[in-house]
Amino acid sequence: MSHDLALAEHQHAESASIDVFGFWLYIMTDCILFGCLFASFLVLNLPGAAGPDLKSYLNLRDVLLETFLLLISNFVFGLAILSSYKNSVKKVQGWLALSFLLGASFVFLELREFAQLAQEGFRWDLSGKASSFFALVGTHGFHVSCGLFWIAVMICQLPFIQTDIAQRRLTYLGLFWNFLDIVWIFVFTLVYLTGAL
Amino acid sequence: MQADYGFAKKKLSIYIFGFSLCVLLTLTAFGAVIYPTFSKAATLGIIFTAALAQFLVQVICFLRLATETEQGVNNILSFIFTLVILITIISCSCWIMWSLNYHMMS
Repeated sequence: MSHDLALAEHQHAESASIDVFGFWLYIMTDCILFGCLFASFLVLNLPGAAGPDLKSYLNLRDVLLETFLLLISNFVFGLAILSSYKNSVKKVQGWLALSFLLGASFVFLELREFAQLAQEGFRWDLSGKASSFFALVGTHGFHVSCGLFWIAVMICQLPFIQTDIAQRRLTYLGLFWNFLDIVWIFVFTLVYLTGAL
Repeated sequence: MQADYGFAKKKLSIYIFGFSLCVLLTLTAFGAVIYPTFSKAATLGIIFTAALAQFLVQVICFLRLATETEQGVNNILSFIFTLVILITIISCSCWIMWSLNYHMMS
């Protein structure tokens, strides 16, 4: 009897690790999506490309603020995972809520930046440069918005699910959230900092 | 039995260490551009080095990729394969378009 139980538990753990590996592979394919967007951005921004430069429209201080919001949100998510090891649902929910707020401020700042750019005349239909900029940064922003929705769902469902399932779902979400921050490193370096030089 | 996801154990001390490094690298990169003190090439060198360093710090300290288990090795192998594809797509696209521009426009 106890042997069967151990076997069932072993199979359960095995299927859980395959599930997480599957999610990891999804993230890797998402990386390739971003890679294609980066490639088109770089190609359309090679020296000599048509259209006005982003440089005169940029506000680097806002970008720095966005960077820190996303980085701190990521760090706070790590704190949520750490408190999930101690089985304190309330603490996990608190950290997740803080992480959500920071991520939401990031999306708010980005939308405000897009609105300002459009107002000043740097619209998405202006040139290949502008289109690739909005496609790349917009896709990242859309991913962050999906992540925010997911965090909200996680906060609501946490009290009602088992600890091991909760930890697995937090692992998925943590991978996704961390991946978005890693993509953002390259967005701010290649798009904003290189664009401002 | 704890399922093996292939990632190293998360620890507060490692998080704080990684976070401080990321803050430092971000400030270095933005500082080099907002307060220009070096030549353009040197500034580009600084921001790309900072970006690569921050990428590694986040992968090691936050993502916790590790080779300790079989699952971890699978994760890293798929990660390396993805990096190879990314570098191929990005560098070859730029090379093709640069070369077209060089040979046909001038």
